Parts: sequence; structure tokens; C-alpha cells
Amino acid sequence: MTVDQSARRTTVTTTGGTGSQRQYLVLGVVVLLLALLPLVLPEERQGVAVRTLIFAILAVSWNVMSGYGGMFSFGHAAFFGIGAYVDAYLLVDHGISPWVAMVVGAAAAALFGVATAYASLRYKLAGAYFALATFAFAQMLLLLVSNLSSLRGTEGYNVPILSESSWSKIQFPQGDSRYYWIPLGLLAIAVAVKIALVNSRAGQFVVAARDDATAAEALGIPVMRYRLLAVAISSAIAAVAGVYYVQYYLFVGPDNAFGGSVSIEAIVPAVIGGVGTIWGPLVGAAIVGPLSELTSTLLRNPPAALAFLEGKAGLDVITYAVLLIAIVIFLPRGVYGSLKARFGR
Amino acid sequence: MSSRRKTLAVLAVAGLALAGCSSSGGTSNSTSGSGSGGASGETITVGSIHPLTGALAGAGQLMQDATEMAAADINAAGGIKGLSGAQLKIASGDSQGKAETGQSEAQRLTQSGAVALVGTYQSDVTKNVASVAERSQVPLVIDVAVDDSILAQGYKYSFRIQPNATGMGTSGADDLAGIGEQGGSPIKTVSYIHIQGAFGDSVFTAFKKEAEAKGITIAKEVAYDSGSLNDAATQVAQAAAPKPDAIVVTGYYPDSLLIAKSIAALKPDVKAVYGIANGGFDDDSFPGAAGAAGNGLLSANYHYDATSARVKDIRTRFEAKYGKPMETAAMLSYQAVEVVAAGLDKSGSKDPKKLRDAISALELSDPLLAFDGPIKFDETGQNTNATVIVMQIQGGKVEQVYPQKFKTVDLKFPAKPGAS
Repeated sequence: MTVDQSARRTTVTTTGGTGSQRQYLVLGVVVLLLALLPLVLPEERQGVAVRTLIFAILAVSWNVMSGYGGMFSFGHAAFFGIGAYVDAYLLVDHGISPWVAMVVGAAAAALFGVATAYASLRYKLAGAYFALATFAFAQMLLLLVSNLSSLRGTEGYNVPILSESSWSKIQFPQGDSRYYWIPLGLLAIAVAVKIALVNSRAGQFVVAARDDATAAEALGIPVMRYRLLAVAISSAIAAVAGVYYVQYYLFVGPDNAFGGSVSIEAIVPAVIGGVGTIWGPLVGAAIVGPLSELTSTLLRNPPAALAFLEGKAGLDVITYAVLLIAIVIFLPRGVYGSLKARFGR
Repeated sequence: MSSRRKTLAVLAVAGLALAGCSSSGGTSNSTSGSGSGGASGETITVGSIHPLTGALAGAGQLMQDATEMAAADINAAGGIKGLSGAQLKIASGDSQGKAETGQSEAQRLTQSGAVALVGTYQSDVTKNVASVAERSQVPLVIDVAVDDSILAQGYKYSFRIQPNATGMGTSGADDLAGIGEQGGSPIKTVSYIHIQGAFGDSVFTAFKKEAEAKGITIAKEVAYDSGSLNDAATQVAQAAAPKPDAIVVTGYYPDSLLIAKSIAALKPDVKAVYGIANGGFDDDSFPGAAGAAGNGLLSANYHYDATSARVKDIRTRFEAKYGKPMETAAMLSYQAVEVVAAGLDKSGSKDPKKLRDAISALELSDPLLAFDGPIKFDETGQNTNATVIVMQIQGGKVEQVYPQKFKTVDLKFPAKPGAS
């Protein structure tokens, strides 16, 4: 599915050598600023910040496949879950470091992504049909893992708690800033990979395949190959997010690895921020991530004017939905995408 | 708006709706003001984590209410005596039914000064919260969460009041054998229908071991996947085929309702239909939902002690205040706050480490649940006296029937399913 017309223009204009240099520079500055956050953030808010970073990585990943590649994924949980389970299995059952799991998990997810995407594209599934196929693959893994006793079925894995800090096992005292800096670093790498891809020749082919597969094919671009490349990169990044998820939460079961809500968490920030842009998923994650925390704080201690909200449930889902609808209607390119179109060149 | 853009929007909104169904966001929690302004001026915060939004919000909210009521009762009775009348305050967290949200809520509560946590109703959320408790060295008193593996991690800071899955399977088998003998019609063979997964599998395994030791054979084991159970006729027919003396059922509320209805329709020739750790059979709304199909169903489960005057008083006041009957889950939440309070009283300190030691050495008599003895934790944190009792639906009500000391009415046995 070709995602949107505006994204096509944006990518084309941001392409080129000087463009990528500027993007790396912006990335560096943004990451540096974000790295200072633990110094000002109250410790009990760390959980929200880390969750936001994990889902930002996932949204960046989704954007590579669906925003740039034009293949709408409704099942990113599959890749995320593969990463999570590879990590849990290697660490808990074999004592292997999560850093290794990141590599193995990324490779396994990429392989799975390429195989399933090839099967889907080979039979010309497009648009909603492709999206449903990805959803089905994620569901399939969910059922498989729930029933495999060798992967502990519905029990899931608990990561053993160590008595001291360990870089190799990525385990630190609770509230340690390293828990925040590591996913920030991973996010920076994911964005850097995306910048490199978008500005490369291969990236141009990916975009061309998205915009008009037939024309690209006619020009001699091996469309399938470049689509699978985008899928592979996207799945690998999602798997890394999954590995870190397990390391931070110290537990993984079928639902929090392969459940439908994981796929949603990959899509929503990207759509809100701006599909098919470099910075959109980050902007989206920064908006969506703290949203449920903000609404719950509001509900916990509402100001006098909003006292009627106290004890009401589901405000953040309503806010989510309203935000999504408003953005689709008024900012069809997402928050970042629309701002860029308005104030950009 | 292009049509593609519309597809995207529709998919995204549909996805949100899905997410809303499965987990729902938002938070409806409110910190209670009930403890503030105590006599001594000191306020001690206890964190309470339950699913206040999402599919389990109904039960979660009742449990949250019960913790508030427990704190208010303790404060009204003079607060924590060992701490010169300090008042308890409940700070609530919403797990949204999701493990990672439960964990970040636990972090938020412990880091903002909660001396103990209570919760959480779901086994996977509890596992995560237990790991937070362990790492921040703040005691967690589990009100509801059955999975054995939560306490199998060797954690020092987690305590569980209710029986675990293995305990329920074992006591369930004991009681079934006891009922057969008491009724003069011993149970020799059973068929067992259970939900797939950690919960059903572990209860069944423990039951089988104990039942076989008591000379009961398992004629047939039928495991079902709750997601695909739209009609239980197949499962019931399979279970009835070897003509067992009893059919045993372990599963959640909706499945148990389907199974009860199928049994009533197929009328297998058994002496009893017997739930163990069954999420439906002893729920107060079950007799109404099942109608005639519910009559005579037996259920071995942990349960509030309906013979206790203290329990009656708490339930009456709870229903008056919140407008809903206080189910066993909420009673356990109330009890969990009492455990924390007793620990604070005994340790005479707000230090979570000392509180932990006090709780582990606690012996709390007059428990609110029908247990074998006082609440007392072993080295894994499991309440050693947590046992199940047997209930039976009679005259459209869930009554306690076995063992003798907890009975509210006489056991009817044999109890043909569906007969009035």
C-alpha cells in the first residue's frame, strides 16, 4: 500500500548528501539533549520515559517498512516478540548476554519478516490484505508460543534478578540512569540507520517501489528485492526493541510479546507524528508515550474545575482516539509532517 | 482525504478499538484521603495496584475500594498502635491489566514512598510487580494471583495469602474424596475438564497426583482453549463418555458457564459436578446466570468465611458503601491491607526491610477467609494455612457446605447436575 502523497514529496526533498549530514547533526543534538533528561526527571517517572523510548524505537521500525516501504504492517508484534523471546530464551535458559540476543534476535526477526513478506507479496497481497496477513502472522506466533512448553507456554519467562549491576546482562539497580541511556542509544542507532537508508540509492529504490511499483519495475528496479530489504531492516530494529523490553521489565509472556496491543503501539506514534518522515515517529512517541501518564495524573488529582473526572476510566484511550481522528482530519501528514509541509521549504 | 489515507485512518482507529478492548488505557485511580489528618499526624502510605481499567476493571475497582475501606477501618480503630497511632493511606496504581504498566506503577509507588504494596489480581502482572518489590526491597502482599511460579523465584519480599494453584488442586482432591465418603457414595473415577495454560495445567497436575494417592482414577482429561470455546458440548460429551463418578472443571467464568449449561443439556449420569479453583461456580452472580443449570454444582475454592461475624459486618458495610457485593477477591485485598498493618504494628517501624521481616514472622488469627488456621507465611512467602473449602449452589445461592466447621447449609450429595 502506498502510504501517502505528501510523504513522497518530503522524502524526495530531504534526499541528498548535505541533507543527510544535516539530519545526522539534528539527531546528534536531539540525542544529547534527551540524554540530559534523567538529570531533571524525577526517578519515579523513569518508567514512563523508558516505555516511551521503547515504543519510539518500534515506531521508527514500523515507519521503515510501512512509511517508506509502503507495506502497511499490522503485525509488528511478531518481530518485537521474536526479539523478546530470543533474549528470554538465551538469557534465562542459557545465560547468554542480551547484547548477543540483540544480534541473534534481529537476524531471526529479519529472516521471519523476509519470509512472510515474500510469501505475502509473491501472492500480490496489498493494502488491507497485506496488513491483515501481517496481523495473522503475529497471531500465529502468539498461539504457537502459548502452546509450546519448551518456551514455557503461557507462563512466560522471568529474568532472574542479580544481586549486583552487570553491563553484560544489562541489569542495574532500579532507577539507574543507564536503563534510560541504553534505549536512547538504541533509538539513536535506529534513526541513524533510517537516515542512511533513506539517503542511499537502495532507499530511493524502496521509495520508488512504494510510489509506483509498476513504473519502478519498468525502469529495471528489482522491486521485490528492495521491498524485502526494507522489511528486513524494519524487523531487525523491532526485534532490538523487544530484547530491551525484556531487559527492562524482566518478564515476558506471549501477550506482552506478540499481543495485538504491541502492534498498535508501533503504529500510533508513527501515524500521529507523521508517516514516512524521519522525525515523525519520534515526535509521535513524545506525544503518545507520556499521554496515559498525564491523563492518569490528571485523574488522580484533578483540579477543582475538573473534579467530575475523578474516578473516570479510559480517558487516555478517548484522548488517543480524539487525537487520532483530529490528526487524520486536520493534520493528515501527522504533527511533524504537517508542520514541515507548512513551515519547511 | 485520499482513499488510502482513509484506509490508514480506519485501520488505526480499529486498532485503537482493539487495544481498548484488550487493555484499555486511562486511569481512574484516586488516592484516598481517608488516612490524612490522623491523631499522631504521621501518615504511612501503602501502594495498591489493580486493573482499574480494561477488561478486568470491575473486579479491580472493587479490590481497590476494599483496600481503601480496610485503611479507613484501621484508622478509625486508632491507626497503627505500634507506631503511636499512625494513619494508613492508600496510594493507588492502575495496572490496566498490563504487566509493563503494573511494573511502572509499582516503581512509581515505591519510589514515591509506599512502604508496602498490595495487589494485583493477575498472575503475569503480579510477577512483574514482585520483581519490582524485590529490587526496591519493599514488601508485596499478594491478594489474588494463583500461579505457583510467582513465589518460585526465591523472592524474599513477596507474600501470598491465598492458596497457590498446586495447593488448590491438592486440597480439591482431598475434599472431593472426603465428600464422597461423607455421603456414603465414594468417588472412584473422575473426568477433568480444564482450561489450557499455566493455571489449568498446574491445578490439574496437582489434583491428579493427590487423587491417585486417594484411589481416584482419572478417566479422561479434556483440555480446552478458552479463546475457541463457543460451545462446550464436545468437551462435556468427551468427559462423560467413560461414565465417571464426577466431572471436575477448572476454568474462568464464561467457560464455566458454558460447561455448566452443556452438562445440564446432556445430563451425564454423574454423582457430582465439581469445580476446583473455578472462576465461575462460586461467584455470587453465577446461580442467576446459569439458572437451573447451576443447581447442585459443587466448587472447591478459597472463599470468604461466610460463618464469621466479622466478615458479615465488613460485607454489609462494603455493600452499603459501594453498592456492590464484596466478592472473595475484594475480601483478600482487605485482608492484604490488614497483613501490612499487622506487620507495621509488630515492627514498630516504617522501614520496608523491617516491615518485611515482621510480615514473614507474622501469625494473624481470625482470617477473613475460610482457612485451616492463622495466616502465616513459609520461607517462600506462601500462607501455609491457605486452604480451600467446598461450596454448593442451592436454592439459587452459593452456600458453604464442606468441611463441617465452615458450612452454612447441609451438603446435598449425590447432586445430579441440573436437578433442582
